[in-house]
Amino acid sequence: MITMAQALNAALGDAMAEDEQVVVFGEDVGALGGVFRITDGLTAKYGEDRCFDTPLAESGIVGFAVGMAMGGFRPVVEMQFDAFAYPAFEQIASHVAKTRNRTRGRVGLPLVIRIPYGGGIGGVEHHCDSSEAYYAHTPGLKVVTPATVQDAYSLLREAIDDPDPVVFMEPKKLYWSKADIGRLARTEPFGRAAVRRAGSDATLIAYGPSVPVALETAEAATQEGWDLEVIDLRTIVPFDDATVTASVRRTGRCVVVGEAAGFAGVGAEIAARVQERCFHSLAAPVLRVTGFDVPYPPPMLEHHHLPSVDRILDTLDRLQRDDLPDTRFLALGGAA
Amino acid sequence: MTDLLDRPPGGLPYPGGDGDDLELMLMIRAFEYKLLDLFAAGMLNGTTHTCLGQEHVPVALSPLMDPRDHVFSNHRGHGHYLARYRDPHGLLAEIMGREGAVCGGVGGSQHIHRDRYMSTGVQGESLPVAAGVALHLSRAEPGAAAWAYIGDGTFGEGAVYEALNIAALWRLPVVVVVENNGIAQSTPTSAHLAGTIAGRAAAFGVPHLAIGSTDPAEIRDIVAGPLGHVRAGRGPLVLEFRTHRLGPHSKGDDTRDEQALREARAGDWYHRYAAADPAGLARVESEQRAYVAAVADEVAARPPSTGRAACG
Repeated sequence: MITMAQALNAALGDAMAEDEQVVVFGEDVGALGGVFRITDGLTAKYGEDRCFDTPLAESGIVGFAVGMAMGGFRPVVEMQFDAFAYPAFEQIASHVAKTRNRTRGRVGLPLVIRIPYGGGIGGVEHHCDSSEAYYAHTPGLKVVTPATVQDAYSLLREAIDDPDPVVFMEPKKLYWSKADIGRLARTEPFGRAAVRRAGSDATLIAYGPSVPVALETAEAATQEGWDLEVIDLRTIVPFDDATVTASVRRTGRCVVVGEAAGFAGVGAEIAARVQERCFHSLAAPVLRVTGFDVPYPPPMLEHHHLPSVDRILDTLDRLQRDDLPDTRFLALGGAA
Repeated sequence: MTDLLDRPPGGLPYPGGDGDDLELMLMIRAFEYKLLDLFAAGMLNGTTHTCLGQEHVPVALSPLMDPRDHVFSNHRGHGHYLARYRDPHGLLAEIMGREGAVCGGVGGSQHIHRDRYMSTGVQGESLPVAAGVALHLSRAEPGAAAWAYIGDGTFGEGAVYEALNIAALWRLPVVVVVENNGIAQSTPTSAHLAGTIAGRAAAFGVPHLAIGSTDPAEIRDIVAGPLGHVRAGRGPLVLEFRTHRLGPHSKGDDTRDEQALREARAGDWYHRYAAADPAGLARVESEQRAYVAAVADEVAARPPSTGRAACG
C-alpha cells in the first residue's frame, strides 16, 4: 500500500532519474521535503542543483521557472498552498500561459506548477481554497488534478513530460489516501476522463477531492434504487467532452460535484457544456453540488461547506426520476 | 542569428555601418518619430511608447552583448530591439500587422520575441525570468549573461526585489539596465521612489553603477570592467542610466510643465553631436529619416500578416 503523497514523490523521483533537465524547487522542498513531504529525499538523492529551496517569493519562483524553461530545463515548482500561489498569478497569467502563443509557437514552456488545493483538512482559509477555476479560465494552461494514487503518479509524469505549462492541482485531503498498486505506471494521456463507476440512471461528474465523495454517494444511492455513473475528469483542461457527452446522453441526468464556490466555477462550465451537447437527451436540469459562495469557512463549519453524500443525495431527489416535472424548486423561489 | 542581423527579411538593407553609433541612434529616433506620424495618420492601433531621448543606452550596450546573451526588454523597447537587430522592417511590420512581422503580428509593440530577445509590457515581470535564464546560462553556457531593461518606475514592483534577492543569493549573471528618466508615466521619481536605486541595489549587496554619460563609447568603457565580473560568475550588476524622456509616456499623456520639458530636452544626447559637427549630424539625420520613411512605405504596402513569424 502506498499513499498519494508517496506516488507523487515517486513520480518526481522517476522523472528526475530519467531526465537531468528536470529540476524541482520551491519553499522548503529541500531538507524538509515540503510541508506535505512530496519532495522528501529528492535533494539527498539528486543534489542541491536538482532540488533546492527558494526564498519566500512565489512570483519570483514562477518567473524563475519561466526563465529556466526558456533556457532548457524542465522545472517543477511547488506552491506551498493554494492561496500562496496567488502572488504568482501575474507570472502565470502574463508569461506562463501566453508565451507559446506570443512567440507563434516557437517558445514552449515545459514547466509544472504543483499546487496543493482544496479543503477537508481542518485548515485555515488560505490553506483550503479550490482555485482551479482561475487557471482553467486562463487559455494557455493545462489544469490537471488526480483523484487516485495511480493517477497521481501517472498524471504527474505526464505533466512533467508535457511540452507546455501544466498547473498540477493536488487534492491535499487525499494525500494520505492509500492504494495497493503493484507497480506504478503511466496510464493514459491528458484529456481522457475515467468512468470510475458504470451506471445507467444519472451521471455524477467530479474531479480531484470530490471523486471519492461521488463514489460513496453512488454506493449509498443504490439503497434508493439509483444506479449512478461516476466520471472522474482527471484533466479539467483539456476537457474530455466525448466521455462526458456519451455518458449523459445515455443516462439523461447529470449532477456536477466540486468543492469550489459554484458561481462562475468549473462546475458551471461543465453544466453549460453538457446542456449544449446533450440537450435533447436530458430528462432534468443539470444540477451542481458545490461549496457555497463564501470565503472558505473555519474548520468547525467546513463539513457543511464541502459537498457531502447527503447533499448529493438530496440533489438526486430533484432529478425527476419519474420524468415528471419537479415543481418543488418553485416554492423555493427558483433557487437551485 | 548573425545572418539576420544586417539584412532583415524582405526589406531594404540597413544602410548604417557596423559600429556607427550615431547612425544607429538617429535611425531609432527616426523610427520613433515615424511611429508617431503613423499614429497621427490613423495607420496604427493601440498605443506605443517611444524611447526618444534614451536611444544611446541600447546603442552603447548592444555591442557588449554576446550572441549567447538573453535580453529582456520592456514597454519602451523599440530602441532595445533595433540596437540588437537593426531590423526596422520586422519591428514595424509587427506593430502594423504586416507580412514579415517578427512575431507574426501577435506580439505588437510590447511583446517581441526573437531568438534570445524577449520583451513584455508588464512592469518588472521579466526580472525573475531573466534570473531563471541566468541560472541555466551559468550551468550550460558559462560566460553568457541575461540582461533586463527596466525603468525607475519598475522599482515599485515586488518582482524586482524577489529577482534581485535570488540573483544575488545565487550569484547569477544578470545585468539590470535601469533607464531612469525621472518619471513613471506621469509620476515623477521623487513622488514614487523612497531612497535611491543605488541604495536598493546595495541592500542586496549588488554592485551599482550610476551613468550620466550619453556617449556610447564612453559608456562601454565604464561598463566593460564590471560586466566582466558578471560574466566571471560573481553575481548580478545594476547599471543606472540617467536619461531624459523627450516625448510623452505613450501619446498625448505628458503632464510635465514647460520647465520640466525644457530640462528634458536640454539633457538630450543630440546636442553634443550638434555642437561638435552640425553639418555631419544634419546629413546623417536626413539619411536615416529617408531610410526609415522608405521602410515605412514599403512595410505599409505589404499585405496583412498571416500570423506566421518572420524569424526565430
